[in-house]
Amino acid sequence: MQEILTVLWEAAPFILEGAGITVVAVVGAMFLGLGIGVPLAVAQTYGTGSVRRMADLYVWFFRGIPILVLLFLFYFGLFAWIGLNLSAMTATVLVLGMTSGAYQSQIVRGAILALPQGQFKAALALGMSRAQAVWSIILPQALRLSIPGWSNEYSILLKDSALAFVLGTSEIMARTHFVATRTYQHLPLYLLAAAMYFGLTWAGVGVLRLVERRVRIKGYGETA
Amino acid sequence: MHRLVWLFLALFFVAAPVGAADKVYVNGIDANYPPFAYVDKNGKPSGFDVDALDWIAKKMGFQVKHVPVDWDGIIPNLLAKKIDLICSGMTITAERAQKVAFSAPYWEVKNVFVVKKDSPLTINEIYAKPLTVGMQAGTSEAKWMADAKTKEGWKFTIKLYDSSPMAIEDLVHGRIDVAAMNYPPARDAERKKPVKILGTFGEVEEFGVAVRKEDQELLAKINQGFALLKADPYWEELIAKHLNQ
Repeated sequence: MQEILTVLWEAAPFILEGAGITVVAVVGAMFLGLGIGVPLAVAQTYGTGSVRRMADLYVWFFRGIPILVLLFLFYFGLFAWIGLNLSAMTATVLVLGMTSGAYQSQIVRGAILALPQGQFKAALALGMSRAQAVWSIILPQALRLSIPGWSNEYSILLKDSALAFVLGTSEIMARTHFVATRTYQHLPLYLLAAAMYFGLTWAGVGVLRLVERRVRIKGYGETA
Repeated sequence: MHRLVWLFLALFFVAAPVGAADKVYVNGIDANYPPFAYVDKNGKPSGFDVDALDWIAKKMGFQVKHVPVDWDGIIPNLLAKKIDLICSGMTITAERAQKVAFSAPYWEVKNVFVVKKDSPLTINEIYAKPLTVGMQAGTSEAKWMADAKTKEGWKFTIKLYDSSPMAIEDLVHGRIDVAAMNYPPARDAERKKPVKILGTFGEVEEFGVAVRKEDQELLAKINQGFALLKADPYWEELIAKHLNQ
């Protein structure tokens, strides 16, 4: 028991450093995914012709390929081929973010479709342009509705980030594995890693719930 | 809020490596391969290969940094110039030599079978019975075993793991009957877990340092460095410190 505690105590700072890396990767990917996902959702719902088809293609591509394959494909393939010299961390954020963008677009699309269809038409009837209607009527409501879906996406992304070690990003799992290899205390160490993931999920979901409450419009939706 | 987003994005793109002012060679290590390469309790890369290369770098006048890399992706990392060399218990094989250039061999290892301490298994039984043998994926010994198994018609099934210590862990829990790996990690496991080395298999393997084929200058420095190291008393010291415990 004493030995296990010593190992855990010594490993904790090293693995916690990995938790920091995990957080940066996940938060970065969440924001990048948001930047990609919202325009995609709008393109899929209101886009016409080729715009819509491009958005569909993007979502189809990134949802259809496992993240591990995408990481390899982009880091060793595409990025290297076009001469883009990215650090493993940047590549991790980019690939996780692009993938998350595909999933986040579906969260936002779902939220847009959940709004009464008449609103968009009413906005146009009032003389707004399509872009104006989307920007000032649809998105403010849809984004608020998307927050519960994001907390789901966050927790999935958090766990997907463990795959990033194939590129050399030493996050929680990779570091836990290193210590376990040296000490052969697999079970306690993986329990420690699980506790860290648990804490991060809890904190992230908590933050999103706080955001949800902060951006709520008083009285909106209460009678709907 | 928007400003925060931009700050995050900016941080990532700036964080990409900048042009080399003073070239630091990056050595990719398999940090799950004690005692040749591992991460010590302070989180620092350590091990026989790390110490040896540090000595050589100092002697030959270049700088080196050790970075843990996933073994499955270590050669793609080298070819994509994410790392500059692999000094981490890599066996010289003809297949790998098609992609990378190897230094002269600096160490030889045998391959061994590991079983539970109280196991009654014998070497001959391993080949004859329908057992499960755990090995690390992507290693030269795993490839040798798979080829030889087909050729000789051995009855066991091979189960592949991310690292040999994971195979050891499954062995201790009784999910596999035998683990097979290079001698040094087996010796490491024998000291830490209730397992024993049963005997050898396969061919003697030679470890070499891998670099990109065009990096002949670095390769020459490493070859010369190892020659110097082997003639130095520090070589015996390293062996005593890491390999003969």
